[in-house]
Amino acid sequence: MSSLVLFPALSKETPDAEGVLATWFVSEGSTVAPDQLLAEVQVDKVAAEVPAPAAGVVHLLVDEEAVVRQGAPIARID
Amino acid sequence: MTTHTSESTTAPARSAPQAGEQQRPEPAVRSRLFETMVLCRTYEEAILREYHADKGPGFDIGKGLVPGEMHLSAGQEPVAAGICSHLTTDDAVTATHRPHHLAIAHGVDLRRMTAEIFGREAGLGRGRGGHMHLFDPDTHFSCSGIIAEGFPPALGQAFAFQRRGTDRIAVAVTGEGAANQGAFHESLNLAALWKLPVVFVVEDNDWAISVPRTRSTAVASNADRAASYGMPGHRVEDNDVEAVYAVAAEAVARARAGHGPSLIEIHTVRMWGHFEGDAQGYRPELAEVPSHDPIPRYEQQLRADGVLDDARVAAIRDRAAAAVEDAVAFAKESSTPDPASATDYVFA
Amino acid sequence: MTIMEAPQATRRLTTSKAMVEAIAQEMERDPSVFYMGEDVGAYGGIFSSTTGLLETFGPQRIIDTPISETAFIGLGIGAAVEGMRPIVELMFSDFMGVCLDQIYNHMAKIHFESGGHVQVPMVLTMAAGGGYSDGAQHSQCLWGTFAHLPGMKVVVPSSPADAKGLMTAAIRDDNPVVYIFHKGVMGLPWMVKNPRTLDEVPEGEYVVPIGKARVAREGSDVTVVSLSLSVHHALDVAEKLAPQGIDVEVIDLRSLVPLDREAILTSVGKTGRLVVVDEDYLSCGVSGEVVATVAEVDPGLLVMPAQRVAVPDVPIPYAHDLEYAVLPRHDRIEKAIHAVTIR
Repeated sequence: MSSLVLFPALSKETPDAEGVLATWFVSEGSTVAPDQLLAEVQVDKVAAEVPAPAAGVVHLLVDEEAVVRQGAPIARID
Repeated sequence: MTTHTSESTTAPARSAPQAGEQQRPEPAVRSRLFETMVLCRTYEEAILREYHADKGPGFDIGKGLVPGEMHLSAGQEPVAAGICSHLTTDDAVTATHRPHHLAIAHGVDLRRMTAEIFGREAGLGRGRGGHMHLFDPDTHFSCSGIIAEGFPPALGQAFAFQRRGTDRIAVAVTGEGAANQGAFHESLNLAALWKLPVVFVVEDNDWAISVPRTRSTAVASNADRAASYGMPGHRVEDNDVEAVYAVAAEAVARARAGHGPSLIEIHTVRMWGHFEGDAQGYRPELAEVPSHDPIPRYEQQLRADGVLDDARVAAIRDRAAAAVEDAVAFAKESSTPDPASATDYVFA
Repeated sequence: MTIMEAPQATRRLTTSKAMVEAIAQEMERDPSVFYMGEDVGAYGGIFSSTTGLLETFGPQRIIDTPISETAFIGLGIGAAVEGMRPIVELMFSDFMGVCLDQIYNHMAKIHFESGGHVQVPMVLTMAAGGGYSDGAQHSQCLWGTFAHLPGMKVVVPSSPADAKGLMTAAIRDDNPVVYIFHKGVMGLPWMVKNPRTLDEVPEGEYVVPIGKARVAREGSDVTVVSLSLSVHHALDVAEKLAPQGIDVEVIDLRSLVPLDREAILTSVGKTGRLVVVDEDYLSCGVSGEVVATVAEVDPGLLVMPAQRVAVPDVPIPYAHDLEYAVLPRHDRIEKAIHAVTIR
């Protein structure tokens, strides 16, 4: 069963704020373990790490440097 | 004898105790203070002799068995004796370019220290450091030729002692001229902020080389500056070894108890030049300086109080002379470093 | 000190995360290691040198200092003398002016002046480099100045794996080690995207020896000796020139003290052509030292005069186009390679 990885909510005051997917640390199709570092995202000056919520094969749904709304899916783990 | 105390709290400053009111130390302690001062002076007189023995004709500073600059501490013995009496060799002492009295009072090995001053392989630094850069890990003694810059590393030693849960302290000594250097101010703030077990000591010998304190420092006393940095400050007048001893006892106890740093300023006297070869033409009171010698004055006091007599004084002087001449002889007999090893010891 | 010949499992990290991982692993291993500097606590370091460490190790070991470089760098020295292993951060290499005495007259000299009896096992970290319009006082490299003054080792990693390996080595070294990280190699999300800032990093204990350069790219036509961010640019240019028939060998110095002169000579001995790329100032520094290394062993190794691509002797300008005109970037590197390879 697959799980979606969402862009984290870094800005609490503006829930639908947009940020950038700054860096992918894993490549498309690679196997990931729970908590493994998947990506680094940025909203304004605040950066955050995105860990894998589960084990499995990761599929990247957005490109690096793409603008993404908070809460939007950025990857899927099968 | 007078002391002036500035507290960093809102409590009123303690009034200066009157002469005679202060508890005198035990006779054994007083005798030891005297003996330490005599040892320091005897040592400096020997270095003075050795330094000048072979500089001629004229004065060639790089020549002879003890080359280079030489900064001797005659007159400042009360600082060393009074402060170091409260320390063990587990405590750290950081001194300046004028370090000998502090090294001696703190227990640095006289032979190895002298060998270093003579630039020999058996010296504390294998002849690499010289008289301004004496390092003795056995007694945690160090000194620096850059005035005031010895303060920050002393903070680090205190930090390490504190981290290990000990009651060891660091004593950091500088001059009144250096109290205007940035490192002094940064160090006082940081030590107070982190409550480091440090005792800051300012030897006010009136002269930063040729510039008197009245023309270098905007305030009357560095003890007054202490409050701005969040620590108590005490000033000792008259180069009084027992007043130094009393004030140091408090500062050392405070640091050991984990209550943080203090600053002690001692009005002392630099009896000789800033360095050997300094004609001191800038010093108007030069002719009177010998009359301010703290050692004969203390001897007189101790004789009057029955602590010393001819026999005891002679014994003390003989012991000092023997120790010093042994150290000098050891140095002279030690081998000089091999020039082929000149680039060794850069890295561990 | 072990060199991990066959790295264990790896995963991709940015240079800053790799550096932080080395610090964390050493702090776990050795309770005497601590990190001290401005904004290294909750902020995680202005250039992400300590991100996450405060949460793991607490404020006793990840320590924010007041703006008192002389005092806290000196404090590090004293703590090291007493057997601790401090890592002290100078926020920008440009700030060396306010505390240089503690660094070059104390940290670097105490071991020697004590005839080897006293050790100062301390790491001095600092961010360096330009390219984002931070102006003349916040864009310098200055590693040449540190390398010039005796008594301190100097390491300058360019890649994530080296950032980890050299940090581990630096912490374990019983000497003072200046560890200089270019802001542009850290992989910071708020700087120009640079794919070379993200790479495989061994997961476990990893040590890179101090004093050994690395052949970042093997080649036969020209030797480009470089360090730090300039290695990335040199590799980019090498990839661009390969299809044009110019095979560039890139030497990543990794350390300036000790300097791996053998690696320089071996490579130049092979190619006969030398380009040095250094983001520090041109005159009296690293690039001259590299050329001198060849000239004083055998100038005959060179079939063409050496080319140096460095920041000219000017303060680094603020305006973007002016700054990029003085930085040793792709266009100038390519030009220099052509200059030594015209037949």
